[in-house]
Amino acid sequence: MLKKWMKIGLVTVITSLSIGAGLAEAAGVLTIGRREDSTTFDPIKTAQNIDFWVFSNVYDVLVRVDKSASKLEPGLAESWTVSEDGLTYTLKLREAKFSDGSPLTAGDAAFSLLRIRDDEGSLWSDSYKVIDTAVASDDRTLVIKLKTPSAPFLSTLAMPGASIISQKGMETLGPDTYAESPVASGAFTVKEWRRGDRVILEKNPNFWEADRVKLDGVEWISVPDDNTRMLNVQAGQLDAAIFVPFSRVAELKKDSNLVVHMDPSTREDHLLINHEKGALAKKEVRQALDMAIDKQAIVDTVTFGLGEVANSFIPKGALYHYAENLQRPFDPEKAKQMLADAGASDLALNYVVRAGDEIVEQTAVLLQQQLAKAGITVNIQKVDPSQEWDMLVAGDYDVGVNYWTNDILDPDQKTTFVVGHDTNMNYMTRYKNDKVKDLVTAARIEMDPAKREAMYIDIQKMAKDDVHWIDLYYSPYINVSRSNIENFDQNPLGRFFLEDTVKN
Amino acid sequence: MAVLGLFLVLAVFAPFIAPYDPIFQDAAARLHAPSPAHPLGTDNFGRDILSRVIWGARIDLQIAVIGVVFPFIIGTTLGTIAGFFGGIVDVIFMRVVDVVLAFPFLVLMLSIIAILGPGLGSFYIAMALVGWVSYARLVRAQILVLKNSDYAVAAISLGFSRSRVMFRHLLPNAAAGSLVFVMSDAVLVLLNGAAISYLGLGVQPPLAEWGVMVADGQSFISTAWWITLFPGLSIVLLAFGFSLLGDALADLMGVHE
Repeated sequence: MLKKWMKIGLVTVITSLSIGAGLAEAAGVLTIGRREDSTTFDPIKTAQNIDFWVFSNVYDVLVRVDKSASKLEPGLAESWTVSEDGLTYTLKLREAKFSDGSPLTAGDAAFSLLRIRDDEGSLWSDSYKVIDTAVASDDRTLVIKLKTPSAPFLSTLAMPGASIISQKGMETLGPDTYAESPVASGAFTVKEWRRGDRVILEKNPNFWEADRVKLDGVEWISVPDDNTRMLNVQAGQLDAAIFVPFSRVAELKKDSNLVVHMDPSTREDHLLINHEKGALAKKEVRQALDMAIDKQAIVDTVTFGLGEVANSFIPKGALYHYAENLQRPFDPEKAKQMLADAGASDLALNYVVRAGDEIVEQTAVLLQQQLAKAGITVNIQKVDPSQEWDMLVAGDYDVGVNYWTNDILDPDQKTTFVVGHDTNMNYMTRYKNDKVKDLVTAARIEMDPAKREAMYIDIQKMAKDDVHWIDLYYSPYINVSRSNIENFDQNPLGRFFLEDTVKN
Repeated sequence: MAVLGLFLVLAVFAPFIAPYDPIFQDAAARLHAPSPAHPLGTDNFGRDILSRVIWGARIDLQIAVIGVVFPFIIGTTLGTIAGFFGGIVDVIFMRVVDVVLAFPFLVLMLSIIAILGPGLGSFYIAMALVGWVSYARLVRAQILVLKNSDYAVAAISLGFSRSRVMFRHLLPNAAAGSLVFVMSDAVLVLLNGAAISYLGLGVQPPLAEWGVMVADGQSFISTAWWITLFPGLSIVLLAFGFSLLGDALADLMGVHE
């Protein structure tokens, strides 16, 4: 048996060595280590950051989000106009080419938008159902007609899923081939994809902003073990690594060869509550839960003080975040009293935990102890990630920790998913409040920014009062790079600006 | 024996020996290196490692013992029956054994636990379902030899019932090898239990178990080595203890593996 353990050790060592040996030393090729490999390059068939973050540099979008995620800026569309009634968008496209040299036309743009709306495999069709027609009136002009006015519409054009793909390429290659070796409209093309190992990108000379791109290529290499990935950067085998564990930040900061980046993100970690489970249906019980949780302790212990206590589901730094939103004080005694008043003093909760996720597991251990002080028994149930998802969807849980990062600038997307009574049962919480639901719908079509903001503030207040879930903390994206790498930036929506990155 | 005895004492008297509550989180004492206050340091929740190692002995010893007892009982019983009756009974039992053996041990265990849901109960059931085959084979081979021995033939011709011959005359003689095997199997079970808990499928938090502790400390291995080292050492020591006991038993009973 000892032998078996030695074998495991050996395998680990050998794998880490081979990763080191296999790294390309070519100047101008940036190697980035991350946890998992991509799953697809078909923009409409994924909702995962691991895919979005890579193909954001392979495809361009009509409208882009800037580096600080505070405003929209021109992408493939150099300008646009909106009709008085807010129903017709006319976008003027710039001269651009695909990586195969063919011209990128308004026809390709229309094709891409209708594909994300209509394709059976599209995960995003609901968000684009508002499009009535999308027509190329000429090669440079795209006219989009909406069914109803939609305030977040331009933001949704900037979502990576709405990337512009080549109609000709898709029709000749077919979706399966395209998903592996796409015709690119962005800064890089996919040179090779070794599944489960790495994605090798190469500069796209036909990109309309090719002058801006300094790197010859980028390699996204999957190194699942956090310790190994950090060691690889420390040893110079990788130029950069993402997903730096909170526990490693202090140590990495001391290394003068490295730069630790803490870029503001839209990540919010929260405790999901199943509103259909017994006493959890009572608002007072959920409020008591909120008061029994010491969020600052989570920030200190789990994020090593790098996070920040959250007070709203719309994250700090995102559009319409309400900074004055209620923050219930940590008060286990009061929580106990409230539970007793609500007739739930012997509350026992099933807490579903994703096995293998360090952050989630640590949070669970901490919450278990905190809630015990308010007399709440927590049974931790560790399950594998896919099973966890199934349990959440089936409602087979009481509480569980999850997180969300925004995909678009506008708060509409997350608000709809989380409190707008979408098809996902308000993100599996089964929360129901028709007043909130109606307000979400109204805010979507309200075109006056000031009025819209007021509506979102109301939504945040009401959601907080109802405790639709419990906001825990906001945390930054933490990446590390060697000191010879410049401009390795990630915006709050997660997009890396590799077109500006320099390797000296 | 001394090693096992030490752990047994730790396990039994854990509440009196351990300086701290193993699940008490002291926010002011997170990731402290070994010091007089915390001889083995503290983990990322400020829990005392020494106390957790001591309390962990309870669970790990329990894993080793229960994880072996059920396979032993099931395995020897079925092995005896198969060996004694021979023929179709033997064929059926041994084919089942072959089927179970055809799967890699850990994979089979993992899938059983995945179906039953994580937890120690599932672990014991999985052990019982998978672990009995080794005992069955061992005992069957012994019985096959012993049933032709003079005393067995004599017992049968005296008209004793089959079950009496099987369990009173043959089994005690056949079981010696299994008993020695129990000790080395306990090592295996202990490591499996730790491995399963390490993977998050065994002991559930906040209980202290060595495998879980090793897993929890993994992310701090470069900054706080003590979280992983001490529970790891305990696993090795306990396994070593069982191993030595097994050797001693083998010498005592004159069994050679």
